[in-house]
Amino acid sequence: MNDETRHRTEPDGGHTTDGGHASAGERTTDGEHETDGGRATDGGHATAGDELDPSRIDGHADAAEEAFPPLGSIKRWFVTTNHKDIGILYTLTALFFLVFGGVLALLMRVQLWTPGGNFLSPLSYNQAVTAHGLLMVFWFLSPFAFGFANYVVPLQIGAKDLAFPRLNALSYWLYLFSGVLFGVSFFQGQSLAGGWTMYAPLNLPTYMPNVGATTAILALVLFVASVTVSSVNFLTTMHRMRAEGLTYWRLPLFTWTILLTVWMMLFAFAALLAALLILTSDRLLGTTYFAAEGSGSLLWAHLFWFFGHPEVYIVFFPALGVMAETFQTFTGRRLVGRKWFILAMILVAVQSFAVWMHHMFLTGINLQVKTLFMATTIGISLPFDLMVFALIYTMIKGRIRFTTPFLFSFGALVLFIIGGITGVFLGAIVLDYEFRGTYWVVAHFHYVMVGGVTALIGGLYYWFPKMTGRMYDEWLGKVHFGLFFVGFNLLYFPMFLAWETPRRVIEYDPAFVTWHQLATVGAFVLGASFLVMFWNLSRSLFVGEEAGDNPWEFATTAEWAVPSPPPLENFPGTPSYGSGSLRFLTTERALTPGEGSGGAPGVADGGTTAAVGGIDHDLDSRGLGGHDPDRSHDPNHGHESHASVWPFVVGLASFVVFLGLSGFRDGGLPPGMEGGIYAGIAVVGTAFLAFALVGMARQRFRGPAGPFGESWPFDGVENTKLGVWIFLASDVVLFGAFIGAYVFTRVAHGWVDWHVVPHDPTPGLVNTYLLLTSSFSVVLALVAAEKGSRYGLLAGLTATLVLGVGFLANKAIEWNELFHEGLTLSSSVETSTFYLTTGLHGAHVLVGLLIVLYMMGRAARGAYLDDERPVEYFGLYWHFVDIVWLFLFPLFYII
Amino acid sequence: MTSTKLYTAIYVVLFAMATAQVLIEFAGLAYWVGVAAILALSSLKAVMVAGYYQHLRFEPPAISAVVLVGLLAALVLTFAAAYSIL
Amino acid sequence: MHTVGSVVAVVPLHGEGILPTGTRADVFREIFWVFLLLGTLVGVVVIVYMFYNAYKYRDGGARAGAVDGRERGAADDRPTLGELPTGGGGGRKLFLSFALSTVIVISLIAWTYGTLLYVEAAPTEQEDDVLEIRVEAYQFGWAFTYPNGHTADGTLRVPQGETVELVVTSRDVFHNFGIPELRVKADAIPGQTTTARFTPSETGTYQANCYELCGAGHSYMTAEVVVMEPDDYERWYENTASNSETPSNATTANSTTANASASVGGDR
Ligand SMILES: [Cu+2]
Ligand SMILES: [Cu+2]
Repeated sequence: MNDETRHRTEPDGGHTTDGGHASAGERTTDGEHETDGGRATDGGHATAGDELDPSRIDGHADAAEEAFPPLGSIKRWFVTTNHKDIGILYTLTALFFLVFGGVLALLMRVQLWTPGGNFLSPLSYNQAVTAHGLLMVFWFLSPFAFGFANYVVPLQIGAKDLAFPRLNALSYWLYLFSGVLFGVSFFQGQSLAGGWTMYAPLNLPTYMPNVGATTAILALVLFVASVTVSSVNFLTTMHRMRAEGLTYWRLPLFTWTILLTVWMMLFAFAALLAALLILTSDRLLGTTYFAAEGSGSLLWAHLFWFFGHPEVYIVFFPALGVMAETFQTFTGRRLVGRKWFILAMILVAVQSFAVWMHHMFLTGINLQVKTLFMATTIGISLPFDLMVFALIYTMIKGRIRFTTPFLFSFGALVLFIIGGITGVFLGAIVLDYEFRGTYWVVAHFHYVMVGGVTALIGGLYYWFPKMTGRMYDEWLGKVHFGLFFVGFNLLYFPMFLAWETPRRVIEYDPAFVTWHQLATVGAFVLGASFLVMFWNLSRSLFVGEEAGDNPWEFATTAEWAVPSPPPLENFPGTPSYGSGSLRFLTTERALTPGEGSGGAPGVADGGTTAAVGGIDHDLDSRGLGGHDPDRSHDPNHGHESHASVWPFVVGLASFVVFLGLSGFRDGGLPPGMEGGIYAGIAVVGTAFLAFALVGMARQRFRGPAGPFGESWPFDGVENTKLGVWIFLASDVVLFGAFIGAYVFTRVAHGWVDWHVVPHDPTPGLVNTYLLLTSSFSVVLALVAAEKGSRYGLLAGLTATLVLGVGFLANKAIEWNELFHEGLTLSSSVETSTFYLTTGLHGAHVLVGLLIVLYMMGRAARGAYLDDERPVEYFGLYWHFVDIVWLFLFPLFYII
Repeated sequence: MTSTKLYTAIYVVLFAMATAQVLIEFAGLAYWVGVAAILALSSLKAVMVAGYYQHLRFEPPAISAVVLVGLLAALVLTFAAAYSIL
Repeated sequence: MHTVGSVVAVVPLHGEGILPTGTRADVFREIFWVFLLLGTLVGVVVIVYMFYNAYKYRDGGARAGAVDGRERGAADDRPTLGELPTGGGGGRKLFLSFALSTVIVISLIAWTYGTLLYVEAAPTEQEDDVLEIRVEAYQFGWAFTYPNGHTADGTLRVPQGETVELVVTSRDVFHNFGIPELRVKADAIPGQTTTARFTPSETGTYQANCYELCGAGHSYMTAEVVVMEPDDYERWYENTASNSETPSNATTANSTTANASASVGGDR
């Protein structure tokens, strides 16, 4: 980021020995103007090698690989796919949303200065409450943690980048644009005003008619899309791309917490997506899921809290990881009971999916279920006791240095203990009955959640030197902590004392005025403490001391063994723990950490191709189908791409599409100009998105290629294939939640005994035949591709397309008939479930057919014949869509 | 048996089972017996498609486990939610 | 899950006076204070222990040598950069503390579970004594319907010392009916009923609030709860059979949009 760090610039990031490089002539080996804080950039050479998609060998010129601009360039930040850049983008954007959500909180606290103030109108207050919750939970907490996860996890596990760098950039842009969309919602009449829990049926247009409320929900949908892409990416990376010797037990604790977090995210956010899609459909298309008397309210509560409770750990686990790392580093001790700590976290992650009904103890669920969920809730609190004690005992015999990161972690542990103890109160159902909907809950979860934030802020100070190469000002850091900790307790502790105040009210019992005023004072102290942080960090960026590779004594993890900030491809050789501690293997010799820093000439040389001589064992050699999926076919497989503008374009296009959609309501548009404008935006956005997606698909881009050190238990499963499977697993939960919603509604309304909407099962049966046949034709296409038959491949794909179109046409005819009988989406909740669930499946079919169409175009030019993997992976998706239908057909046409 | 033959055989079986599902409805079975039979057939079909067309049988079992965990989560949601209001 | 065993073991203790009894308010007070006492105790002990260790093992220039001298083994075995992570030992102590905390938490919860069964127990013998009142929430107020069909808006009257069962539902969105001083609370869900049972022990006027965000008038969605002398109540109740008591400003009963101005909501 500045010239002082130039001396660490390595000669061209270790690409110099990539022998068969087709375009060596174009190379610009310019250590001169690439002063990007020690990151070697391999600026601007277009490789003409064998891409993953071999259709290029037919001479067709695809969009060339993009050049990678230096750090100082604005363009860099729009095209970067490097995990460290993305990590910085996440961190900064999340901090912006912290300020956004924080200002809303201050507005609320100003309103509560007097018991009956009228600083805000009731609806403004409700919007502030809602937006504060949503922004902090979704747009600040997790993305802030994922800033670190992006930056640090690949370094800790010894990967050069995430498995799918472009998708990582896509996650970021979807996240950013979802936040922008949420911001837009305030300018469309009124944003959501029903609390972050968005309880039904208040969340429906009957009660919240403004376009802004729809926009906010669509913003959440876009956010979930970002999270899903990100989860798939992280899971593939962390399971497949660990350095040699990094088995699961040996993963650093921060990496462990992120691993468990993304697993929870994958499944929990799929359930939230189901809830949001149903809500979107209720608002846009006029289905009546959540309006249905006697099932709608509770259905929302189940879907939301099935996501909502794991979400608590999703936001807290990364904080726990930071605490574990900083406790170890700054006490100079290894974590006590490390294995048990990890096991406790695994237990929590699994069990977090079986406690959600503790948010519903008063909804009239039966006593058996209450008892069961009380037991699981108490059960899930116990592992945390172990974790807390493990952290405390780690201090014993330590050499504790009270640096800013440690102070924040230590403070976080204190706050978490208080939050945990007050949470046990809520676990006792009899007490929960009275605490429900009061400030006790508010105080408790802020102690837990903002306790987590406390640790994450510590994480920011901890990794700041690594991310910037500069030290922050230690004294100002301590001032920040002091103000933060005092402000925090001044803000949230009085809420326990005023606990009888109902939540989310703008006026309260004057008896509590002292406590509420203390809280307001605390809120401003807490807010002000961040001004100190922003001043400290932004100033240190320019005048801070040089941090060196490892400013912390007793840090052990790999990110401290590389320069600060690390070079573009992270390591001076292939990282390996094969010998029992970290080594960077090169063709010449092994480097111990520390030796590699400073960019010694000859060290970086051949770094990325070192696997050839260093650790050339191949854990993945039992690949299927005769080819080794991890090994690229081209000789220069060490080369990776780092730039693509398409993720940004796709993010922007998605934003436009969703903005256009927000105007729809009950299957129609607002009258007049307004409706026309929204429809126009939606149409333009869709075309733009199609253009962007095709552009992204056609771009040549290469992510990190194997072989990797440790990939168990997914040895031999190529990254993309694993990614597809993980995505499908989340899709299982999405459809599962839709089917669950249908079953729940059926049970609530007592529909038993052969009860279906379409009285004639024939169209459904015909569609079953069509889809089964299309699955078969995809299999035949794959067989043809394996045999190298272009004709067979094209025939198989064409047959799939025809059968799929037939499926959709048949469905269209069927629906049309049903509509004419008066059975529309909004006739009743049963027609709603029928149309929406099968409609979601239909949308999956449509997406599949668009992919088929694209593949046919490529196949016609000879693609896929010597690398049929794209056909195989498409098949995985298509068969999944088939399997879903195998269940939807009986559920909606027979029983 | 070559893979194409195997795939074809599976296709024929799937086709037949789909037909059988509809016939069960008209077989006059008790409701829950019928439901159980129909869903069992669906599950069997799903296993065949996943095992052979998606060749999960030949992949590391961890992949199947990932999908099954998702399935388990969905089942927990479905059954616990439905049971809570019984 | 292992809590179930202890739960079963504790339930019979109910009759022996270990479990709190009385009105919901009594039960709540008793349990709350026990939790507060134990919670504070545990919290203080743990946090003080944290600070004690943080102080004792601080890295000070003068003390560093002493620590090194005394803890030679530990000092020599500091973590190094690039090592494979391992645990730091000390497992026995960890498990002892963990076991202790588990015992405390599980016994607390098991104890309150007995109370839950008591609170939720269906009144078998005095079934007839229960006064059943239907509570209907709407944006933004409360309507109460008595067994004789009398409907009142904004004011709930109940006789002192008699068990009242509220059957709570909603006409529009999700609300929650709560009388904080009497420790009564129930979700008000459209198309569904929930129940809450309580026995007011003292006469007086209390306030009921809404505890689930329900729109613009949420903060003002209160009702008056009047606990009357049983005789007064009887006299009042006799008179209600024919005429309905509805406040003149209950115009919001049919208002279903969130745009309703907050000031017209409720009954205040
Ligand atoms: Cu929860
Ligand atoms: Cu309310």
